[in-house]
Amino acid sequence: MDEWKPNPTVKPHKKRSWYLAWKYKLMNQRALRKLCQTGAVLFLLVTVIVNIKLILDTRRAAYEEEEESAQDYDDEMLNVEVPRHPVNNKKVLDVEVYSSRSKVYVAVDGTTVLEDEAREQGRGIHVIVLNQATGHVMAKRVFDTYSPHEDEAMVLFLNMVARGRILIFTVKDEGSFHLKETAKNVLKSLGSQVAPFLSWRDMWTFVGKKGGEVYGEKHAKSPALSTWGDPVLLKTEVHLTTVEDAECHWPDTELNRRRKRFCSKVEGYGSVCSCKDPTPIEFNPDPLKDNKVFDVPVAVIAGNRPNYLYRMLRSLLSAQGVNPQMITVFIDGYYEEPMDVVELFGLSGIQHTPISIKNARVSQHYKASLTATFNLFPDAKFAVVLEEDLDISIDFFSFLSQSIHLLEEDESLYCISAWNDQGYEHTAEDPSLLYRVETMPGLGWVLRKSLYKDELEPKWPTPEKLWDWDMWMRMPEQRKGRECIIPDISRSYHFGIVGLNMNGYFHEAYFKKHKFNTVPNVQLKNVESLRKDNYETEIHRLLGEAEVLDHSKNPCEDSFVPDTEGRVYVMFIRMEQESDFTTWTQLAKCLHIWDLDVRGNHKGLWRLFRKKNHFLVVGVPASPYSSKKPSSVTPIYMEPPAKEEGAAAVPVVAAAEQT
Amino acid sequence: MQKINRNVVLALLSLTSLVFLLFQLCYYKFYLSQKNGAAFSKVRGSLSGQDSTRWHVVRKFLGLISSHNIPVYLIDPLVLGLVDKDIEQIRSSPDGPSPECKYFCAPRDFTTFALLDKTWKHEVGLFRTAEKMGFQWLKIINKDPRLDGMDDLSGMEIPLHYIFKLASHAIHLVVFYERSGNFLWHGPLRLKQHMDRKFVPFRKLHFGRYPGAYEKPELLLVSIDDLKVQIPKNPSSFLEEISHSRFLECRYREARAFFQLYPDDSSLDAVEFRKKAKSLLHLAALTLNNLGVKFWLSSGTCLGWYRQCNVIPHSKDVDLGIFIKDYKADIIPAFQKAGLPLKHKFGKVEDSLELSFQGEDDVKLDIFFFYEEDDHIWNGGTQAKSGKKFKYLFPKFTLCWTEFVELKVHVPCETLQYVEANYGPEWKVPVKTWDWKSSPFNVQDNGVWPIDEWDNVIQIY
Repeated sequence: MDEWKPNPTVKPHKKRSWYLAWKYKLMNQRALRKLCQTGAVLFLLVTVIVNIKLILDTRRAAYEEEEESAQDYDDEMLNVEVPRHPVNNKKVLDVEVYSSRSKVYVAVDGTTVLEDEAREQGRGIHVIVLNQATGHVMAKRVFDTYSPHEDEAMVLFLNMVARGRILIFTVKDEGSFHLKETAKNVLKSLGSQVAPFLSWRDMWTFVGKKGGEVYGEKHAKSPALSTWGDPVLLKTEVHLTTVEDAECHWPDTELNRRRKRFCSKVEGYGSVCSCKDPTPIEFNPDPLKDNKVFDVPVAVIAGNRPNYLYRMLRSLLSAQGVNPQMITVFIDGYYEEPMDVVELFGLSGIQHTPISIKNARVSQHYKASLTATFNLFPDAKFAVVLEEDLDISIDFFSFLSQSIHLLEEDESLYCISAWNDQGYEHTAEDPSLLYRVETMPGLGWVLRKSLYKDELEPKWPTPEKLWDWDMWMRMPEQRKGRECIIPDISRSYHFGIVGLNMNGYFHEAYFKKHKFNTVPNVQLKNVESLRKDNYETEIHRLLGEAEVLDHSKNPCEDSFVPDTEGRVYVMFIRMEQESDFTTWTQLAKCLHIWDLDVRGNHKGLWRLFRKKNHFLVVGVPASPYSSKKPSSVTPIYMEPPAKEEGAAAVPVVAAAEQT
Repeated sequence: MQKINRNVVLALLSLTSLVFLLFQLCYYKFYLSQKNGAAFSKVRGSLSGQDSTRWHVVRKFLGLISSHNIPVYLIDPLVLGLVDKDIEQIRSSPDGPSPECKYFCAPRDFTTFALLDKTWKHEVGLFRTAEKMGFQWLKIINKDPRLDGMDDLSGMEIPLHYIFKLASHAIHLVVFYERSGNFLWHGPLRLKQHMDRKFVPFRKLHFGRYPGAYEKPELLLVSIDDLKVQIPKNPSSFLEEISHSRFLECRYREARAFFQLYPDDSSLDAVEFRKKAKSLLHLAALTLNNLGVKFWLSSGTCLGWYRQCNVIPHSKDVDLGIFIKDYKADIIPAFQKAGLPLKHKFGKVEDSLELSFQGEDDVKLDIFFFYEEDDHIWNGGTQAKSGKKFKYLFPKFTLCWTEFVELKVHVPCETLQYVEANYGPEWKVPVKTWDWKSSPFNVQDNGVWPIDEWDNVIQIY
């Protein structure tokens, strides 16, 4: 605005000069007139010049102002971009890779990106993927190829890595025992000379570009079976390419921007980063008519298993009736990659500084997540709680929408869960059928806010108590006799193999054969019959129509149930008091269903399917339904196995199903 | 000839001078109006003489947000003030064309709108369209206070304010969030280091100096100045809310430090007491709000909020303060109706009034009435058996909103002075034995009630 100041002073001068000129003319004094005229002319000229200058000045000022404001805006955008693309003019990376029996490390330009010297951990082949343009670490994996099947996982992973990425391999301890031909061939195709001949306790390092040059390889043979090869240290240089070369050229949309950000940071997610035909990251499943859970917040509890989270969120976002705005992912720890996954899908994520250790850490994470959920959505009466290692059924929200009013109205309900502990391929049949059970299955469930705020939150186990949150929730002090509603066929599927309480064997035995609903829009049957009193009527009706099975036969044998379909059968087992599950546990064991603790019971009654017939098990005399037992029938008693046998199961028993 | 020549030259020069003068004027006007947004021609004839820039910017903005299906509502205090005067007429003819531009044409730097966070999806598309329309925009983000009280959670920062600027007019869009306690909250406007401090004159903004708390307003779609816009259904009560909307966040960080020093009592008794105190406070708040009586957290309850963001488990009662000018005779019957019988009543409306109600299981609700003097505020106490009077002095204070046990309640804005007056500089140290007659820092003897008044001023049930 300063430029304007001369202006007001100019105008009056001009006017006065005219006036003076006329005045002097009238006075008719030649010399003076002449002088005045010249003065006036000069003055006019000056005015004109000043005016021109003024115009030029304002124009320039206006331009500058425009540019300035534009620059401010640019600056802000640049600032946001900076952390993603740090200024790195260096075109060459120094890479150091070390392989030995007890320690491996990888350093890129002097920064250690991998260091593992923990004992009894990290055995096998460590793989690191670097971005060929920025040198950023995009993925870090270890495949324990001393153990079976890990080499298959490695092949899978290597195939998913995009062409052009830089791959770094190093062996810790032993990496060849179960490294099969296929895997060796893949390594060979990457340019490794040594991999096909890698043998027992050899040390090996390798740096190469996928589908391109080899930057270095070192190898130390183990001299004897009982000793390891000498440690090897590989030092090499890697030439970086330009950013443009390292990126795909997707059309510039909001979704693809997210995709680009994700794909330039992490690796190992397969087709989502494919240049030619990337898999979608927005799913737009059909909305539900009259969706009662559209406004219910969904809390996804996650740790550092980004691949699991990726799979889980895909299935969640594909479920009909999902409302992405209500989803919050709670990440236990400051892990970047899970957050990248969350951002890829455009969801909101919250990170949680880990408190305490092991089970207590999980438990504290649950508490923080639930509290935060109800803080973020103060209007919500419920919250859906999911975990990162679950597949979500396509009709998950439809199932909840049809049943949630029960949780609101029936005080005797503890939760609605999408998971049937006893719903295996061979024991679940009817997607429209619901049960009431006295146990809390978790694995995709709905929590009532009042239950959490008034009862659970104030006395949630403190960090020093190493309790499982779910075990704690199952305790009678918390559950207070209330029940959960579950479907016959689960609406979630537990795919996690790695976890706090989880391992491959355990998963194979208890989770792999779980039935999972894939039918959309299942109309639930007779939902009102799940209310407290109605359910008793329903059970009595069922028991009334049920045929009593032949109790002289072995209940474990298939022939125990006749080869029919759609019938209702009942059997009676011995159950001295409410807590006597001796026979049930043996029966569960031989039926290959959940037998690690008692699940799925309702007043001493279990409901499942066998050979497509509804199969009821009543515990006599503890169950109130014992009265339905004909007097001629003797309840079946099954002896627990002798101690030695039981001991084998002990480590597994200690593990909870939640991970 | 020379003379003619000279005259011609003079005439020519004066002509050019005039032309330049005109040109300069035009240019000056053009430049000024460009700064003000001369991009718009005067469409509305009736607007001549008034500044239509604002009206056009508001119209463009409303077009922008409706094209993205974002429901905003008008909260501009100046416009709402004008609207409030004609509210009957506006309500009765929601669609009628307005003869003149009354509301959006007064030249102002800003027009303020509100946006409920949960009603939109944070689409980036909005901003791209805004840029295409010529808007410059600024987003002010900050920490999410709903996660602030949580140990060790770090969420994404949330947008608190947006400013859309076009020509000389800016739209200030305040983002409201729902908070526990069934109210709406907006954050303070704080510029970060790299932000353009001259983007708009921030000091003149009506919202953002402090965070604010509001009731969820009912909205009304009206047409003013030929623009369809949502406004709070009752502008006058909304305007009234604005004037005392200041919100104080609990000092979560200090509370955490306090619990590091003095670990929280998580015994069953403590859990039970907190639960009861919470429900008693909810009931009291409901009752008093229904009566329209303004109250605040006082004494131990206030200390609990300020020091540890929670009810102090060993405090054994809930304390509220009410200005005596807000006293209503219906208070006692209303509480009795709510299931809280009167336990005792000390003093009288003119002097040292104090009410005590019996909550569930020995949890007591104490209501102290505060008397305003020129330079201080006080409330009274009475010892039942001796008739002794006590006086508790406080420095003057105003009331702010806060969130406490899922409730929107008042606390003194100058909380530290209030707490220090009551509990002294050592208020940070928990004290388990507390004598209301001697322990408070600000207690004074205030004589004795005359014996003949005892029946009236000491009532115990």
